[in-house]
Amino acid sequence: MAWRRGALWVGGTLVALALGGLLFAASGIYNVAARSGHFDVTTWVIELVLRRSVALHARSAEAPNLDDIDRIRLGAAHFQGGCAPCHGAPGTARNPIVKGMLPVPPDLARAAETWSEKELFWIVRNGLKYTGMPAWSAPTREDEVWSVVAFLRRLPTMDTAGYRALAEGEAEPAVAQRAGWSPELLRCGRCHDTSDRPSASQLVPRLAGQSARYFAAALRAYKDEWRPSGIMQPIAAELDEAAIDRLAEQYARLPGLVGTAPTALADDLSQGRSIATAGVPEAGIPACLSCHASGYGLYPRLIGQSAAYIRQQLHLFQAGQREQTVLGQIMTPVARRLNDRQIQEVADFLASSGREPPGGDLSP
Amino acid sequence: MSPVARCILLACLVLPLAGCEGVQSVLSPEGLSARRIALLAHVLFIGGAVILVGIVALTALSIYGGAGWRNRLASEKIVIGGGIVFPVVVLTALLVYGLAVTRVGGTDRAGPDALRIAVVGERWWWRVIYTDADGRRFESANEIRIPTGRPVELALTTADVIHSFWVPKLAGKLDMIPGRTNYQTVVAEVPGVSRGQCAEYCGGAHALMSFFVVAMPPDEFEAWLVREAGPAAAPGGAAASQGRQLFLRGGCGACHKVRGTPANGAIGPDLTHVGGRLSIAAATLETSPQAFARWIAENQHIKPENLMPPFRIFADDELDALATYLTSLR
Repeated sequence: MAWRRGALWVGGTLVALALGGLLFAASGIYNVAARSGHFDVTTWVIELVLRRSVALHARSAEAPNLDDIDRIRLGAAHFQGGCAPCHGAPGTARNPIVKGMLPVPPDLARAAETWSEKELFWIVRNGLKYTGMPAWSAPTREDEVWSVVAFLRRLPTMDTAGYRALAEGEAEPAVAQRAGWSPELLRCGRCHDTSDRPSASQLVPRLAGQSARYFAAALRAYKDEWRPSGIMQPIAAELDEAAIDRLAEQYARLPGLVGTAPTALADDLSQGRSIATAGVPEAGIPACLSCHASGYGLYPRLIGQSAAYIRQQLHLFQAGQREQTVLGQIMTPVARRLNDRQIQEVADFLASSGREPPGGDLSP
Repeated sequence: MSPVARCILLACLVLPLAGCEGVQSVLSPEGLSARRIALLAHVLFIGGAVILVGIVALTALSIYGGAGWRNRLASEKIVIGGGIVFPVVVLTALLVYGLAVTRVGGTDRAGPDALRIAVVGERWWWRVIYTDADGRRFESANEIRIPTGRPVELALTTADVIHSFWVPKLAGKLDMIPGRTNYQTVVAEVPGVSRGQCAEYCGGAHALMSFFVVAMPPDEFEAWLVREAGPAAAPGGAAASQGRQLFLRGGCGACHKVRGTPANGAIGPDLTHVGGRLSIAAATLETSPQAFARWIAENQHIKPENLMPPFRIFADDELDALATYLTSLR
């Protein structure tokens, strides 16, 4: 009989607590204002949950080489546009609006030190509930997330000048003064090549001289979320149709990527040259330049493109990440027939061929 | 049974026999080798049927014939004679006859007067390599043309996995095995079209790996061979010219060869005279402009897993132009 009475007491207490909680929630007494903050004990519990949850979930991540300077540069360039508005950056204080958030987005120059690489990766990729930290908009692009992590590792030791050089490009002030540049073009030029300087990172594709039809198709693929990229999708989403066409025209006019097969070639690249110009018929690999230097505007020009970018994109094709677009459906099976060595050789060949000295003018 | 019901029953019984006719039937041979196989098969079927009728008759006799018949059938002589001697004699005779009629042990190679054609099994189509009178080799695909009345030696190889070459109306099946060349000599006795197919599972699109063999009178064949050896016709008309331009700039030449143009690919079928073939995509579609257009854009739906990527980048008028061009390649 005693256990029955005990159970009745426990059950009754639980029901009373639940009802009381419901009543409290329904009454509207609790203040949800960001301004009102949390009790110290609430903060302690929240941080415990957060730390433990991230530590547990982040265990399985596998980091690539995070000392790769191109990865760091790409991460820095994205940080400037995508993260700094809330988290601030060296030399740029957080906006007062942001300071009104609960929790206030941490200054990553210090906060990043308290998380491991895997934990940073997990947070940037998945976001954090109830904090305002969003998930990466293209979760399959782990390579992009790692580039942000690569940058965050360096951030604590970075001064204002070092950060500016990395994230904005040294030529930024000079570029910004150029007459006739549309605001969106200035935005592209922060990461991509301009007539004055190369792309901020080898992982950022060269755009000067790119075929206008392909350029516009690529931007629309990002805009419509057919082509995954947590970096390019948010940028393309803000471009209207006219802006896309304008950018395509402007970049196509610049001297840069070459649309016809090169003639003079270095000997040490003969293997890559052979793949690019003749393919590997026994492995079902067609010659790259049959499409990429055929003059058909819908295919991207690749002669003079960055080797690191070509390699990375071929690996993305192999992983099926670009299969959503009609162009990607052509390239995916071809990319899957290449092995890593062939990818390296052909990327080096394409990058080293047809380079032209910088020059020309971006103004319309 | 009413006359109508009787007609329906008769139709149902006769209908399956229609399968014995047609372009891919072992029961309507048009080649020397296939005729021998068919003859052996008929001897087997008829002999087997006669023996079956005899056994059924003896069984009936033993059931309904009374004790006298049962005693006689159970005698030692009948058991030894019918159970051991008869099968040994009949099966031995059949074996000897079968070996003789299908020329087992004879050479599969043809004499010096034979036409020689190389056929390479690919996933999932057939590369056909002819050699003309001057010794020049040139390629075609998914269709083999041969003269009637003359031995044709087929050198069968594979580029990848094991395939099996089988044209039931002309000869038995023969495997294409990596690393070796198998020879099959066929003689087509009458002009006509035979259908063949891969008879060894070779991967995803195996079921759509077929081809046609067209047997032609010798003089027609010689004229055809000269035409086939030549380069592709220049496109006539604006649409065909636009199609040719799209073909070259769209990168088709990376995999396909059209002799006489810069398209020089060796990965996929040679398309120099593709418009003149009965089918495209290894007898998957009957040749027509619509079939070309569908194939270019939708080939992964028509023949899943085939090694050509789908080219859905072309607008409808561009597809029409490409189709017009390819159809004109006769």
